[in-house]
Amino acid sequence: MVSFTKNSKMAEIILKNYQLLPIISRFGIKLGFGNKTVEEICANKNVNAAFFLEILNSYHNSNYFPDNHLGDFDVDVMVDYLTNTHTYYLKSKVPHIELFIDKMEREAQEENSRNINLLKHFFNEYKTDIENHFKEEEKHIFPYVIDLEKTLSTNNCSRELIDKIKHEPIEVYERNHDSLEIKLADLKNLIIRFLPPLSCEDDCEHLLTELFQLEYDIEEHTRMEEKVLIPKVKMLEQKVLEYYGV
Amino acid sequence: MEFEERKLHTVIASEQYLVRLGVKTLLNVIGIESDLHEVGTFDELEYFLQKDENMDYLILSEDILQKQRKPDCLEYVKNSFGLNTTILIGKQQFSNCVCDHFISNSCSRKEVVDKLQQFFYAPKANEQQEEDSHTLSDREKDVLKAVALGFSNKEIADQLFISINTVITHRKNITSKLGIKTISGLTVYALMHHIIKAEEAM
Repeated sequence: MVSFTKNSKMAEIILKNYQLLPIISRFGIKLGFGNKTVEEICANKNVNAAFFLEILNSYHNSNYFPDNHLGDFDVDVMVDYLTNTHTYYLKSKVPHIELFIDKMEREAQEENSRNINLLKHFFNEYKTDIENHFKEEEKHIFPYVIDLEKTLSTNNCSRELIDKIKHEPIEVYERNHDSLEIKLADLKNLIIRFLPPLSCEDDCEHLLTELFQLEYDIEEHTRMEEKVLIPKVKMLEQKVLEYYGV
Repeated sequence: MEFEERKLHTVIASEQYLVRLGVKTLLNVIGIESDLHEVGTFDELEYFLQKDENMDYLILSEDILQKQRKPDCLEYVKNSFGLNTTILIGKQQFSNCVCDHFISNSCSRKEVVDKLQQFFYAPKANEQQEEDSHTLSDREKDVLKAVALGFSNKEIADQLFISINTVITHRKNITSKLGIKTISGLTVYALMHHIIKAEEAM
């Protein structure tokens, strides 16, 4: 599969794969590209083009592995993106899904409405799970990552940071990074296999489409964390330790 | 009362300590409760296969096979062990490899987990398929009910007078029949099908 480059036309990229739409909006890039290239648009919007391309390419092609370009951008760019993605899930995707579930609950017959209510509770639980997962990352992991980079650029390293690298490196987080997709898969299965047929088929279809998309997106998000963020943080940890000779 | 099942035995064969450790960790992640045996050379494996006939699963890394003779070595393992219970780990699958299950070195974590799950939870060729693979048996419903009510495997085993391994087997079967993996997902199913009542689930 061909990868996109900084000279690719933004419009052509989206025409080729419309699923990239939510990605570009996470970078604050809006439609109406004309014939501008990725490089031009990124310069305009103050977006790091190298990083933007890594995200586009790995989202577009799941075999794409961004190892050659790890050095081309700072982690704070990546942390920004991941945080934006969290917000996108919680503020845009989740409410959307809730809306469809609510609508289905209202329109279903009594017995089925009870079933949908169960699914609603299940999804609520899932929502709490991902909220906690994201909160943990934003409160503890991301600031740590930023600290590492700052330390290297300012030559100013705190004792605590060294302690943290030694006792609680990113590897600990990597080992406990749990999967956010299992419950979503369960929800899809419950709907596809076990929910008695509904009269509002359209809503149900939309709901399922949303769930499939969210699942794909979250998988991709996890892949970014595991294949790009973590290797990069490991590299930084190493550098800090070497620099301070510990 | 059901038969007390004996514990499963799994052999992990690789020259590399890190590979064996990785496999062990992942087995833990997907909840395989089995006695694990590690072997680090092909001779050791041969010896193991001859001495112990009670092996259930073999996870075999390519590095342990003698170079130049890899297909022969596999053939040998097949004859002494049977290959529907062997999974091979390596660079790429040999052409007409005798082994059905294969994990490539380049697989991602998710792929590896999926493959191991398929390997352990797929029905064995010699086991009889149930007539209707989607309806739960009465016993499975009992287990599902207890799971949905929040009991642990140990508690369920005690309540139903069966071994923990039997509980685990039932749970595997329930999950593969329903396609639902999490406890809260199973609870929703149980509620939808009136296997438990809403008041009980609280």
